[in-house]
Amino acid sequence: MTFRVAVVGTGAFAREHVLALRSLPGVAVTHVAGSDLRRADALAALAGGAAATTDIHAAIDRDDVDAVDVVNATPDHHRWTVAAGEAGKHVHVDKPAALTVSDFDEMVEATEGRGVTLMVGQTVRFQPVITELQQALARGEIGDPKLLHVSWYTGHVWPNGWRGWQLDVSRSGGHPVHNGTHSIDLAVWLTGSTPVEVFARNFPTFAAEMPMPDSFQVQVRFESGALATLELCYALRQPGEFLRRIVLVGTEGTLAHSTDCDPGLSSPGHPVAPPSIENALSLQLGHWVRAAQGLEPFIVTTTQARVALATAVAAQRSLETGQPVRISHDQPKARLTGVAA
Amino acid sequence: MTAPLRVSFASGVRHALPYLQLLGRDPRVKIVGVAEHDDCPDWMIADSRRTAAEAGVPWLGDIAHALNAQAVDLVVVCSEPTRHAQLALEAFENGIDVLVDKPVATTLADADAIAAAARRTGRVCAVINRTHAPGLRRARAWVDAGHLGLPRHIDVEFLASGAHFTTSVERPELVIDPALSGGGELLNFLGYCVDSIRYLTGIETTSVYAMAGALFDNGHARFGVEDTAVVSLGLEHGVTATVTVGRVPFAPGLGPTSTSIRLLGSHGHASIDDDRPAVTRYGREPIVASHAVGGVGSGAALAGFFTDLVDALVAGRTPDYGIADARASISVIDAAYRAIASGAVTVPR
Repeated sequence: MTFRVAVVGTGAFAREHVLALRSLPGVAVTHVAGSDLRRADALAALAGGAAATTDIHAAIDRDDVDAVDVVNATPDHHRWTVAAGEAGKHVHVDKPAALTVSDFDEMVEATEGRGVTLMVGQTVRFQPVITELQQALARGEIGDPKLLHVSWYTGHVWPNGWRGWQLDVSRSGGHPVHNGTHSIDLAVWLTGSTPVEVFARNFPTFAAEMPMPDSFQVQVRFESGALATLELCYALRQPGEFLRRIVLVGTEGTLAHSTDCDPGLSSPGHPVAPPSIENALSLQLGHWVRAAQGLEPFIVTTTQARVALATAVAAQRSLETGQPVRISHDQPKARLTGVAA
Repeated sequence: MTAPLRVSFASGVRHALPYLQLLGRDPRVKIVGVAEHDDCPDWMIADSRRTAAEAGVPWLGDIAHALNAQAVDLVVVCSEPTRHAQLALEAFENGIDVLVDKPVATTLADADAIAAAARRTGRVCAVINRTHAPGLRRARAWVDAGHLGLPRHIDVEFLASGAHFTTSVERPELVIDPALSGGGELLNFLGYCVDSIRYLTGIETTSVYAMAGALFDNGHARFGVEDTAVVSLGLEHGVTATVTVGRVPFAPGLGPTSTSIRLLGSHGHASIDDDRPAVTRYGREPIVASHAVGGVGSGAALAGFFTDLVDALVAGRTPDYGIADARASISVIDAAYRAIASGAVTVPR
């Protein structure tokens, strides 16, 4: 049976999602819905047979849609995820899932609370090297994870990467929420524990007057006692350049990977992803389709996604206050989970 | 000063053997011997005596023989860290130059006392450091050449391998019992990281936050000291630094310790790894083995510093790393411990 998906969003990442979904067997993109009909048309044409529309509600409500992939700007995630859940559709929502934990709680209530599913698109978990790390961890190869160090540096320009809403902290959540959710979720997943304290600093490599500096670091203490240093820099000189080093220390061993060690293409003007991270979006969406149909358990749970979001929000608060922030995860309806220490 | 440089060791319980071996290879150096306080615990006297025997140098007996200005030009303080300041002060008062093992002192007050005594007596106070690590020197040349542009961020990871604990640490208590060590692995290792940051940038730390814990089973928890820490440093001019230090079961390197540094600049970035470049051998057990080009980083760093130290003392100049540098690192360590105790961002004193 075909799994019929309506894509909400018409930006650069929505395009990537349409391309990935159309490559999956048993999946049909039935609608591409967004505020700009011309862009929706262009994306629908990629899927062959999909309808383009600006009436997002109507697309979501249709009986011939099984699931909705919400992949537009973060401020709209809550609205369309809730609408899709209320229409009885499974939902995949791009990261960060929401700007606040209370918004996310409402999204979970609107989906899982009604018997459908919600998955946050934590793409990093589906990168081949991360899958390998997690599997080694699950096999007990390093015992209990206790120390994580992630250095993650990349060129700072990509299609539609820095439009107005991304630069506006009130609409993107700030850099720890907007992009930091990737590494914070990774830390939550690999340590298998809940952050209880964060401290963050940032710096602008370029454009110091802008409100969202291109680079930042988050240090984390977990409930298990584990510690993490997470650095993110989106300001390497060369667009597309990517350097990521991960060291995960356990009680019985250490796992490490650096993209420095990847074989790859070196061709000026033609950056490609290192093999260790390639094809992650297709793997992610393929998993979502199977999990939403009950064929396999979700790799990204809403419980984990909530923890990662609360931590990212707390990291942004640490940036704003200049102080460490203790994180409370036990107030499902709390508007703000970060409390300045 | 004319060669040979006469060098004694005041105590030999910590790090003395590799220092004796390295200094002893320098033809400009004459090792006078190793001595220990008469009133030390028996194990300290026995350990110091054994170190002298293993190095094939004279056992001098009481510490006074190592601090005799008529027979000694430089004394190397290799006691447990909590005795560093006392021994250094005794040497200065006797008119002898001093090389102190790291950490130079276990409190900021002791570091200040050493600095003041060195100043007052006009003696050299050098301190063990790793700023001569080949990778660090190479990166500094890139910075000085302008290849990285303006400094923005430095990330330093220094991890010691518990797998080497029994061979790289003479007695576990020397790094886990505060009565001997003065603290945990922050005190032991953070100084190397701060040294690297200062060496690469010339920029001082203005604010510190740290989280620490006894995460592994090395005995640190029993003595209430940390084996691992993550540290956030705010530097002058808006530059930031992150530090990850610890004694972990298996460090991601080839030897007892691993050092990995990343430097982000406005116009480029650089990385340093003490274990790279390396040559990998495929063969019989171990099936895969790697060897860092030029040897493991810690040995090369130490050898480089000792060469500079002897060069300097023989030439009558000041070595390129001294108590002022070590004091700067101790002030950051002190701030990190205060941040851990208070749960708030601290300012180095």
